[in-house]
Amino acid sequence: MIRLLLSFLLILSSAATALARQTETLDTGKVTASIVSSLDSVQPGGTVWIALRTELDEGWHTYWQNPGDSGEPVQLSWTLPPGVEVGSIAWPLPYPIPTGPIVNYGFEGAPLFPVEMTIPAEVEIGETLSLKLDFYYLVCADICIPEEGQLTLELDVGEPESDPIWGPQIEAAVLESPRGGDITGAAEVSNNQLMLTFKNLPVGQVSEAYFFPFDQGVLGHSTPQNLRRGEAGIALTSAPEFLWTDGIAETVSGVLKYTLDGEVRSEVVSLATAMSLDIGAEQISGASIGLLAAAMGALLGGLILNLMPCVFPIISLKALSLAKTAHGDRAPARHSAWAYTFGVLVTFAVLAAILIALKAAGAQIGWGFQLQSPKVVGLLALLLFVIGLNLLGLFEIGTRLQGAGEGLVSRGGLSGSFFTGVLAVIVATPCTAPFMAGAVGYALAQPAMTTLIVFLALGLGFALPFLLLGYVPGLLAKLPKPGPWMETFQQVLAFPMLAAATWLVWVLILQVGANGTGLLLIAFLLAALAIWLLRLQSAVMKGLAVIAALGAIALPLSLTAGSQAVQSATLNSEAWSPERVAELRAEGRPVFVDFTAAWCVTCKVNEQLVLKTDRTKALFEKTNTAFLVADWTNRDVQIAAELERYGRAGVPLYLAFPANHDDVKGLVLPQTLTFSILEGTLG
Amino acid sequence: MKTLFTATAAIAVLAFAAPISAKIANGTTVSDMTVTDSNGVQHNLSDFKGKRVVLEWTNDGCPYVQKHYNTNNMQTLQKEVTMDGDTVWLSVISSAPGKQGYVSGEGANALTRSRGAEPTAVVLDPSGVMGKTFAAKTTPHMYIIDESGTLVYQGAIDDNSSSRESTVASANNYVRAAMADLDAGRAVANADTAPYGCSVKYP
Repeated sequence: MIRLLLSFLLILSSAATALARQTETLDTGKVTASIVSSLDSVQPGGTVWIALRTELDEGWHTYWQNPGDSGEPVQLSWTLPPGVEVGSIAWPLPYPIPTGPIVNYGFEGAPLFPVEMTIPAEVEIGETLSLKLDFYYLVCADICIPEEGQLTLELDVGEPESDPIWGPQIEAAVLESPRGGDITGAAEVSNNQLMLTFKNLPVGQVSEAYFFPFDQGVLGHSTPQNLRRGEAGIALTSAPEFLWTDGIAETVSGVLKYTLDGEVRSEVVSLATAMSLDIGAEQISGASIGLLAAAMGALLGGLILNLMPCVFPIISLKALSLAKTAHGDRAPARHSAWAYTFGVLVTFAVLAAILIALKAAGAQIGWGFQLQSPKVVGLLALLLFVIGLNLLGLFEIGTRLQGAGEGLVSRGGLSGSFFTGVLAVIVATPCTAPFMAGAVGYALAQPAMTTLIVFLALGLGFALPFLLLGYVPGLLAKLPKPGPWMETFQQVLAFPMLAAATWLVWVLILQVGANGTGLLLIAFLLAALAIWLLRLQSAVMKGLAVIAALGAIALPLSLTAGSQAVQSATLNSEAWSPERVAELRAEGRPVFVDFTAAWCVTCKVNEQLVLKTDRTKALFEKTNTAFLVADWTNRDVQIAAELERYGRAGVPLYLAFPANHDDVKGLVLPQTLTFSILEGTLG
Repeated sequence: MKTLFTATAAIAVLAFAAPISAKIANGTTVSDMTVTDSNGVQHNLSDFKGKRVVLEWTNDGCPYVQKHYNTNNMQTLQKEVTMDGDTVWLSVISSAPGKQGYVSGEGANALTRSRGAEPTAVVLDPSGVMGKTFAAKTTPHMYIIDESGTLVYQGAIDDNSSSRESTVASANNYVRAAMADLDAGRAVANADTAPYGCSVKYP
């Protein structure tokens, strides 16, 4: 019975081989392997593609000729009849396979490894050629198993006849295997950054690109390759590896995989080392989803900025001036709206230019940076205080102190609108609205032109409501008519100004301590004195007023950051450092990191509503969560670097490392925290 | 509005996908760190100043590690290097709990006994902090820190990346060559090589 069954199986399997030229399949463990042929029979002097076909278990992979950070390539060793010659493997296009922090190059599924064989002319028709293959591969999921086997394919000599099953498949695999083409390339290291440049790509829009070097030591396999498109080519930046210090050859070769107009292509490219190709000016139009999305995000972020508490006083001031011009002729309102927009855009452009310049100079800088300088904080507090006095009616708008900032802002006409725009931007910057952080982080990591575009989009979003007011008469008509209420309204607006000044004074206390803040209060006194003196109709008094005003301005300029930054937190907190996070993580403790600054309103709101509450304290105690604070009130290179690592240019940033979280990078929590988010993450 | 949110999400993804390559360059001073060995003893890397330190990343389940232990290659090298007492050999296990190669202190000691290994100590690094500091990628992955605390070698143990035991005898051992260079007061000739083997089983 068993014998009968066996012979039946034998018949079945020989029937199968008759259909297609292939060996039996060999199960080596995680892989089943077989040899397949493109031809059922080959003619004397002809060529034939023979392939090792491997079918991998789900979740397992084998390796390309350069396996990446670990692993070992698939290896074939042929024993062939005399005269039969074999070429090298036509490798399939590999995939980067990340395992934790390690990146490998390899294959999943059922890759074919074809080689071309040349049959000598001397073989006789009717002969059978034995093609013997010893193969070896390392197959890995999270663990690795070396597997090997031996198979022999019997190939008939005769009229060449394509194999109905394997012929087309092998042909396709050979066609898809990357080969040389028109693309030229170069590789260069500068500032410890590896730049690969490619030219002569086919015409079209490149959306993705990755270079697989044939050799180890050319680039860091686990370092992402960042794509930049030029008019004449593309560039990839990555990290150089040891060959660049050990001595690199004149050319390095590999496979460039790229997506052109949505289609994945690949080509073997030889890169000349120690030079780069000019890929032309940055391609803006193509840029595509990344830049377009960033610009849209920035526009949205700019709109939301209007609602931020530190901007609102300025905005309401602007609303007041619009209310004044809203009636009668519409043109002035329109001009005023454009002047305001222009002021906003110019300021954003200047900010972008400063950021680009500082970034180029290698400085670590972030959003909200202006308010990290006590001089700026002091002057701004003084300015807001004086505007407050102005709004209360202590002195009149637009008739005196024309040169000073507050005069510029509150004076009517186009220049007033322009400077309102300028001031609004300056005051807005510390409020990193949730939408903005991503856009600015993206912009800072991008070329200068992108940074500028994103910043201008941010500005446009910021100015949009006023532009709208200028153009939609319906909205303008809804503004209340001028009357005695305006004086009251103006006086009411003084209080947000004074509140903002108070907040800035508090920021200054954290920055420079009591003595420095004392100086600022003296400046307030001098400013008030100067304003009062100016009301007296005497040349002497006016002279004194100028002296007092100069003193008021000089005092904030003398402020320098002290070391007395005060950490206020009712939670048991400790200072943040990457080492401390690693230590606590090693102890298995959950960690929560609060990247904050005294001048960051969103941070303060989150602290008051969520972090500094009893139930949060209880949650942290219950879960034994360590609370680390990274205080960015004064500039700090390490904190700036960490923010950049998470793609942020400003605070707040909240990171949670729950006990069961095993990624090195923490979970990034939303910028508007709630207790339930904390509880859901840490609890 | 929905597209705006999608756009914003796209930015967020772009902004966050920025891991950092943290390889320590040869010639830099290795920053101090505290590590715990299989007997629960804590060591500071700075404790070994004045001695040479060899680091060996290992995982007993990895075929490439097995190649060097089954052929007695690793044990011989450990013995040879630590014999004069001026060199410390630390075998480091960075496998996370539940992953291949993870062992308790007792388990690590049993492995050392059964294999006849002679490291100065076996460091347990289940959190992967030490491994990631050195950017250890494979098992084995070898490092040599000189007497002044400077990293002078990193990479493979030898130049044959096969897992076949038969290849060990004829391979050129980079660690042995580097130690000879250092003994002779020369700069290490092959100081940075491509490590090979299994990936380190990080958490």
